[in-house]
Amino acid sequence: MKLAQYVVQRFIGYLLVLFIGITITFFLPRLMPGDPINNYISQVQARAGQSLSAEATQQLRDSLAELYGLQGDIFTQYRNYLARVVRLDFGPSFTYYPEPVSNILLDAMPWTAGLLITTTLLSWLIGNSIGLIAGYFNKRRWATILEVVGIILYPIPYYILALVVILLLAYWIALFPLSPTFLPGPMTWNKAVSIIYNSFLPALTLILAGFGWNVLAMKALAVATKEDAYVQFARLKGTTDRTRMTNYVFRNAMLPQITALVLSLGFIFNGAIQTEVIFSYPGIGMTMRAAAGAGDYNLLYGAIILTIFSVATAALILDLIYPLFDPRIRLGG
Amino acid sequence: MIRLDNIVATYTTQRGHVNAVDGVTLEIPDSIVMGIAGESGCGKSTLMKVIYGDIGFPLSLSSGMVDYGFVNERGEPVTTENIRREWFRHISYIPQSSMSSLNPVVRIRDQFVDFPATAGRKKEVLAQVRAFVPKLGLPPEAIDAYPHQLSGGMRQRIMVAMATFFQPEVILADEPTTALDVVVQKSILLLLLDLQKEMGNTIMLVSHDMGVHYQITQKMLIMYAAKVVEYADTDDLFQRPLHPYTLMLINSLPTIGDDRARHGLPGSPPSLWEMPQGCRFAPRCPLATALCRKEEPPLLEHERGRFSACHYAASVPELKQTLQAGPRLSEIAHDTAQLTADVERDV
Repeated sequence: MKLAQYVVQRFIGYLLVLFIGITITFFLPRLMPGDPINNYISQVQARAGQSLSAEATQQLRDSLAELYGLQGDIFTQYRNYLARVVRLDFGPSFTYYPEPVSNILLDAMPWTAGLLITTTLLSWLIGNSIGLIAGYFNKRRWATILEVVGIILYPIPYYILALVVILLLAYWIALFPLSPTFLPGPMTWNKAVSIIYNSFLPALTLILAGFGWNVLAMKALAVATKEDAYVQFARLKGTTDRTRMTNYVFRNAMLPQITALVLSLGFIFNGAIQTEVIFSYPGIGMTMRAAAGAGDYNLLYGAIILTIFSVATAALILDLIYPLFDPRIRLGG
Repeated sequence: MIRLDNIVATYTTQRGHVNAVDGVTLEIPDSIVMGIAGESGCGKSTLMKVIYGDIGFPLSLSSGMVDYGFVNERGEPVTTENIRREWFRHISYIPQSSMSSLNPVVRIRDQFVDFPATAGRKKEVLAQVRAFVPKLGLPPEAIDAYPHQLSGGMRQRIMVAMATFFQPEVILADEPTTALDVVVQKSILLLLLDLQKEMGNTIMLVSHDMGVHYQITQKMLIMYAAKVVEYADTDDLFQRPLHPYTLMLINSLPTIGDDRARHGLPGSPPSLWEMPQGCRFAPRCPLATALCRKEEPPLLEHERGRFSACHYAASVPELKQTLQAGPRLSEIAHDTAQLTADVERDV
């Protein structure tokens, strides 16, 4: 059947992309000059202020090689590496030794996912609605005002936007906490409410930063689409503005926007590093920054592979859902 | 009967106002197929817009209005004022770019029921549509398809189905078959004609193709530079045109078995911005005199039911004789061969 063939093809492509990405992350650091073990040993020696005995050095070298997965020749290493990736075993974190990297990432993931999925979806919905209305009624003066919202918000650098929001809503009008405090313990109604309350400021800055682009993109698409012959004919059919705006202009103009949405969802596990650092939000971005600062290679590896996985998965999901929105792909031409 | 009373349709542009239809007064009998012909920019499409009631910036009606000769649901006479509410109920439209006039991501059946006329009774209407489309040579399932799954001809049949489904009094077709190959063109036009005969609507057909007009229409309206130059029964008009422009349009039409060189129309229509004084066709007209260049000829009924805007309408049949005495293609070919031989000898 055609559908099954389509799905299988996409899935094979997906596995291939994952494999290539994971392979590149294995080989790339090994092409760099220097050796992480030597680096580490010289750091230890420098800190100790004296040279270690040859025996102690060799012992340290062996245990580090085991820890980093650097035993044996490069093919053995590669095979072991692939086997560990499949088991989601990235070894222990150096900073939080002996906590396994996967546990740390699993702890951070819901925070990032919750914050970024919500804000990406909201800014897509709000931005595209405003853009659609601004584009569809582009000849009216009030619609221009809507577009100006996008033009003003889009170029503001995120950190400035975030600082302004903090100043405004956490300092001058102290409605929200400057940095979030999350209650420990199991999820209760109160805890959920407090999470939403504490996440409000970071979410607001992300929505404001994200939707300007959506407004501008959708506006441009809607202006072009509404001149298309089928929209003009729908007007001559006597259909209402509402019908034309939703069923004709939006149904067609949203297609590229759906691509953009799903792909940006794929990038959420890169974390919103700026957001998480500015608001001390315990997500992947914060974790990655700490790992990079502390030279925690295992944790960085884990985070990078998580990114590869989520981007590739987003692309797969896009391939699988796109035909639902565009019958020309679903049914061939 | 549809009455057009001194219609002046004006486009507002950055350079100022320009009249794309400039004083058209007409009476169109019910239940006929009327053809509108003329060169690009002569005002055909603008006239169609005015008749359809699609008047909005930058187009406005500076004078006149259309009286459609039928009443709406409340018994009020339908005119330009309220025609918009009758779209696809009493007047429908087959667009020029029919190939791309269907929404590509929505099933055709859903595009059949988003008329204001179908609001609240979609199921019932859809059942009727399903019963109706086989009359147009389409399988009933065709309406369940998406536009890209149908061929150009089938899509055009869908457009014809939309335009005829509500049995409107008037159907406007603006070059409905331009994008189709000749065989499909003919089948679509014959289909439209069959439906017209059955339902008794008035069809107004814009086409560049004089052959199509000759085969399909009962009356013809010839436009030139925003004005009507001739309006008559199609047969009369083709046999004995009463305006030099009509004659030259017809003469540019090839006929099988006639190998005379076709006479193209020399020159091009005047810019709507710099209208010549007097008759607008005078600069290209073989009959033009000082009178034509000074005084604009009115559209007069020269014979019964035969309107022409020419000072010398009576001389046009004579002109036809002169033009038909032109050289035959074979003679021209002979001349050319002789000329080539001469040139080669001289070299």
